[in-house]
Amino acid sequence: MTTQALDKTAHPTSILEFKNVNFNWPGGHGLSDVSFAVPAGQFVLISGPSGAGKSTLLRLAVRLEEVAQGAVLLRGTSIDTFNPPELRTRIGFVQQTPIILAGTVRENLLMPFTLQVRKGTPVPDDGVLSDWLEKLALGHVALDTDALTLSVGQKQRLCLIRSVLPKPDAICFDEPTSSLDRESRERVEQVVEDLAAQGIAILMVSHTSYHPACPYMHVIVADGKVEVLS
Amino acid sequence: MTAPFISIAWPQLMVALSLVTISGAVSVYYQLKLEKDLAIGAVRTFVQLLAMGYVLNILFGLNNALLVMGLYAVMAFFSVRIVHGRVKEKSISYLFPTTAAVLFSCTLITMLVTKVVIGADPWWNPQYFIPIGGMVAGNSMNALAISLERFFSELRIRRDEVEMMLCHGADYKEATVDIFRKSLRAGMIPSINAMMGVGLVSIPGMMTGQILAGADPEEAVRYQIVVMFMLVASTALSSIIVLLLVRKRCFSPAMILLLRNGDGK
Repeated sequence: MTTQALDKTAHPTSILEFKNVNFNWPGGHGLSDVSFAVPAGQFVLISGPSGAGKSTLLRLAVRLEEVAQGAVLLRGTSIDTFNPPELRTRIGFVQQTPIILAGTVRENLLMPFTLQVRKGTPVPDDGVLSDWLEKLALGHVALDTDALTLSVGQKQRLCLIRSVLPKPDAICFDEPTSSLDRESRERVEQVVEDLAAQGIAILMVSHTSYHPACPYMHVIVADGKVEVLS
Repeated sequence: MTAPFISIAWPQLMVALSLVTISGAVSVYYQLKLEKDLAIGAVRTFVQLLAMGYVLNILFGLNNALLVMGLYAVMAFFSVRIVHGRVKEKSISYLFPTTAAVLFSCTLITMLVTKVVIGADPWWNPQYFIPIGGMVAGNSMNALAISLERFFSELRIRRDEVEMMLCHGADYKEATVDIFRKSLRAGMIPSINAMMGVGLVSIPGMMTGQILAGADPEEAVRYQIVVMFMLVASTALSSIIVLLLVRKRCFSPAMILLLRNGDGK
């Protein structure tokens, strides 16, 4: 981490905070004056119509897009001051389209540990990987399976595990259940809620009428504005 | 051993020109609409090569290093321009990387060949520097266009994959390692393949020219071997340079992929 100045006006207990964030796509639309704070272990459900800016909100959190005005803070410090790879080890992001690389299930799950930024980090063993597969109803999938042969729903769950294994402070999920049947969807929702219970801040975009069983913050994105309901 | 060679007179050139009409006839019969391009191409071949012939004659007579370098710079400039015409990427500027790749790799390889391999004295002797430099620049130009085209198209197609890697903490080099490798291979393969077929299925242009001009075939072969090796080196070097520079330009300092679609997303 580079030298970072703590924002003294930041929410004291927040892991992640959007502070008067404005963002514009070249076409003109975007997000304006977005403010909300996410404490550790908070589950944030993000909903709203298509194209409203839900995914953009998540992309801003991991700095795949730059805010035009305002700031996104990680533990009270602007994410702009972090070395980008290090920032992204602390905030995970699971994209809407599952992206799997050529190779086995094991290789895909351990890919984050091959990166320079995690050099020296302990690598989860096969037991840990198998436990995670079991939790997400993938217990029948061997670690040596060619990951490209899996179904879209299975790939989506692999992507979820891959983001959880490095133990980030917060994880952004962009519709992680969009390709799943009801049973798998409920499993994934349960796992994500458990992650929040373990202290990981969760930001989850969902189109479906999903209502988490745990206490949650509801962020509704519409017409570039964000409304926060607790 | 040198054999006498037959000079080609103007009427004979006109007979050769009539060969183009075969292509013209095919174009007309099958409505390929290539007649205009054929006519322009034929005229440009005449004009450009005749102009080059006159310029070389003058250069050989003057024996001036600055003029030789000037002509070489013009050749390099046109090769950069042609690469720009072939690669259709608007969101990332690659003029500087292309120019740097052509100037560095082509100049270095041409100098090495004329000075060290051939042993020309001086090293910029136009009889050697210009034809060798021209061949190096021409082949590097093709390699650059292929490498860049491949790199940009792969980066667009695999945008989600690159962003997935970035989201896991990859730097821009790690996120594009496979795309970089594929693009570099694409640029290098034509000159490597050319080494496979040379002498079996084709007698390359330079060797053909020397033999037709009456040079000893063994001498021509030695020159051609040098040419093949220098082209392999220059295409690799120019592709590496351009890809290293362009890849960096595709990402912001915050490692955000800057290659955007038409709607800016």
